[in-house]
Amino acid sequence: MKIAVKIFGRYKDITGKETIQLDIMDGNTLQDVVNAFVKQYPAAEKDKSRMMVTKNNMFASFDTTVAKEDEITLAPPVVSGG
Amino acid sequence: MEIDRYRRQILVKEIGQKGQKLLASKHAILIGGGGLGSNSANLLIRMGIESIDIIDYDTIDKTNLHRTAVFSEQDVGKSKALVLQERLQSVNTDVQVKGINKKVTSKNIKSLVQLADVIIDGTDNIPLRLLINETAIKHKIPWVYAGVYETVGMVMAILPKKTACFQCITPNIPDSKTQEIPVLGSLPATIAAIQCNETIKVLLGKQPAGLLIYDVWNQYFDILDVKRNPCCPICGKK
Repeated sequence: MKIAVKIFGRYKDITGKETIQLDIMDGNTLQDVVNAFVKQYPAAEKDKSRMMVTKNNMFASFDTTVAKEDEITLAPPVVSGG
Repeated sequence: MEIDRYRRQILVKEIGQKGQKLLASKHAILIGGGGLGSNSANLLIRMGIESIDIIDYDTIDKTNLHRTAVFSEQDVGKSKALVLQERLQSVNTDVQVKGINKKVTSKNIKSLVQLADVIIDGTDNIPLRLLINETAIKHKIPWVYAGVYETVGMVMAILPKKTACFQCITPNIPDSKTQEIPVLGSLPATIAAIQCNETIKVLLGKQPAGLLIYDVWNQYFDILDVKRNPCCPICGKK
């Protein structure tokens, strides 16, 4: 199935878009969404394990399952420098 | 409080005389006095809070100088907290500025922050932010996260049990590695200004904006409206 994913920060620069379509399987998790994103946009590979992912406006762990109607967003990892 | 020095700020309808007086009754605790923290403290003191404790156990390094206007070459090797106290006290003698040269730990954090109306994040690592978050939520003290990396900064004001907390937004953070973080010199001042604005809003009882992400190189400014996670181990209902 195709899902719409809203993206933030430098990912807009990487993709040239604010929303992208990703192909995932029914019952897939947010980890699969991240994997599909990184496969399509390898420049985001370094963020793969730390990406901020929300499902229906709530940050969620990578093992959370995804349905077609869910609102998914991807943002670069939390930054920690001071 | 000498009200006239804030005349131009009082003209801002979001502040007004009432807001200015309210600010002058608020005590802030800043943890971390480096690139972000020094700039945030500078702004908050100029804007007229009542008092601020600046906590940092580190000394000023020459590599700090590219990202803050508060320190100079003569300060290298001196305590960040004590230099900030001296430098910023002279900016506004109405504000009580106290530098505390101490490392924040799980054992002393409660005693350091318990009188705060707000905690301001000037730290440079995730574990300390998680400790601040846990303490702030437990003792119902608002705090304002800010961080920088390369050309990107993030800010989020956290109201205990009302907004998402720091743990809510970091479910996918692996063990942190100690490494030197790349930072564009102009970034901390920019992000500190945003952090200061969110701090002032919190102190005036206004609703914070959510998670703010600003890429100063590509000029992307995003706001993520984040809900609390009911399963969050720190602020959730369980």
